[in-house]
Amino acid sequence: MTGTTVDSQIDELSELDVVSVVEEVWATFLGADAFMPLIPLAPGTPAPADPCWDAAITVAGAWQGIIMISLEAGLAHHVTEAMLGLEPGGEHSTEDVVDAVGELVNVIGGNIKGLVPGPSKLSLPMVARAPIRVSSLVELVRLPLAWGEHQLALVVGVPAGGDSVEVGT
Amino acid sequence: MISPTSFGYVADVLRRETAMLCEPGKEYLVEARLLPLARAAGCADVDTYVNERLRHDAAERAAAVDALTINETSWFRDLAPYQAFSDVILPSLLGARADRRHLDIWSAACSSGQEAYSIAMLLHEQLPAGWTARIHATDVSPSMLERVRTGRYSQVEMNRGMPANRLVRYFTKVGTEWEVDPALRAMITTEKVNLAAPFPGSLQYDFILVRNVLIYFDLDTKRDILRRFRARVANDGFLMLGATETTLDLDDAWVREPAGRAWVHRPRLGAAVSPRTSTTLTPTGA
Amino acid sequence: MHALIIDDSRTMRSILRRIVTELGFDISEAGNGEEALTLLEDGLVPDLCLIDWNMPLMDGYTFVTRVRADPRWRQITLMMVTTESEHGQIVRALAAGAHEYVIKPFTSEAIIDKLELLGMVAREVPA
Repeated sequence: MTGTTVDSQIDELSELDVVSVVEEVWATFLGADAFMPLIPLAPGTPAPADPCWDAAITVAGAWQGIIMISLEAGLAHHVTEAMLGLEPGGEHSTEDVVDAVGELVNVIGGNIKGLVPGPSKLSLPMVARAPIRVSSLVELVRLPLAWGEHQLALVVGVPAGGDSVEVGT
Repeated sequence: MISPTSFGYVADVLRRETAMLCEPGKEYLVEARLLPLARAAGCADVDTYVNERLRHDAAERAAAVDALTINETSWFRDLAPYQAFSDVILPSLLGARADRRHLDIWSAACSSGQEAYSIAMLLHEQLPAGWTARIHATDVSPSMLERVRTGRYSQVEMNRGMPANRLVRYFTKVGTEWEVDPALRAMITTEKVNLAAPFPGSLQYDFILVRNVLIYFDLDTKRDILRRFRARVANDGFLMLGATETTLDLDDAWVREPAGRAWVHRPRLGAAVSPRTSTTLTPTGA
Repeated sequence: MHALIIDDSRTMRSILRRIVTELGFDISEAGNGEEALTLLEDGLVPDLCLIDWNMPLMDGYTFVTRVRADPRWRQITLMMVTTESEHGQIVRALAAGAHEYVIKPFTSEAIIDKLELLGMVAREVPA
């Protein structure tokens, strides 16, 4: 669907649906022992600052867009332990974090792909130990969230003007 | 945050009713799950809700247990009862109702409707042409009944026990959710019913499912409910309880029979329709 | 019984491994369909394959079609575990011969439910 306006793309993706996706993924893969709800923060809340882990995944095809998640460093380590079944506070490698956070954005992105027009393909996740910046991005949904004492943010965006997305850190 | 005393009380209720353990460290879970119920009941916080409502109200306790055991509801729960329906109950009823060619089924604690719709799927597949069936789905919770009427379920809910071929046959994706085929929804009626109060209407049912809900009631209420069910199931009909439940020690108005790997209760013909008051057990020959 | 977990994400393989090991399965792992096929060609005979869809070199859908086309592997139960949640994708996978389908995210209970449906595990229910 090249050439569609941003307005129609907003119609296709509802914030409520994105919230459902994040909640289901979070509760399922991280809720195991100490279930805490994800609390939406005020809309203007800035994304987690350095030190942080960011992950991004793109959808390309009938719908073009990017899904990005940003986690405070402490949260990224907690996510890694939870998903890999490791001892809390124990040893894990950078590779472990890259893989766990990448899988998190992969599952979230995959479910958001299911909400937008298809057919389209999910890219491999990109994970960085720094904020990910995307040029000419129009944000459709920005969700600042708190989980206990941790903070995270999820963004769904589309390229401005129908260009493909350029991602960097 | 929930106080240790309230947490201890809730943990006791859970363990008694479901055998689930809720250890210290899970206060967040209890707080998060009960806070919406507390607010709906007009209580400022969970401790108030525990002291003013949970300690005194069995229906509220049932709702709290539901909220804490979320994700326990699944399609074709325990499998064997649904196999029993296909292999034993339905064939028996098809024989017994050949003149009427209609079945009335009651899902008496329907919750979000997975049980009712699971039966509906089996009927859709196995009811012969020319037959009709109605599944009356009742619950004490209006929001649950609304869920049954809407027939929409989350992906996480659909993952619980739904065979993939039935998922694609009977559901379409709507946003993040899956919506049931209108043909199944057409077989279901809903009504708010509190099992502890007199049952509305007088229809006799061919099959009543009252699974995993009697455990929330005290013994006298349980006996009374079963006595009232006895009057509402056809003499050649079936009652099905939860996998671990039995009426054996409660009421000799029923005969417990095996049906495949499940158990069904049939009305004992000629028996008094009131509960025994003595405590000696009589073998039922089941 | 033996389960072969096929997913390009180490994390997802780890999650599935924990669930399925707890149920008493022995485990093998592969990072894509091609690696998995090589294991089968080399003589591995799993009872169950848990298969992601999107993987490099050979995706899960293709792996399913290849396994179902080969009489040597008729007995293997194939369960897809994927984020692909569109109705049409599920229909395609089942038509290709997948026996079951789990949509990510999933709980351990969901996997156990599916394995129960397939007759591979039985939940303990007191008599």
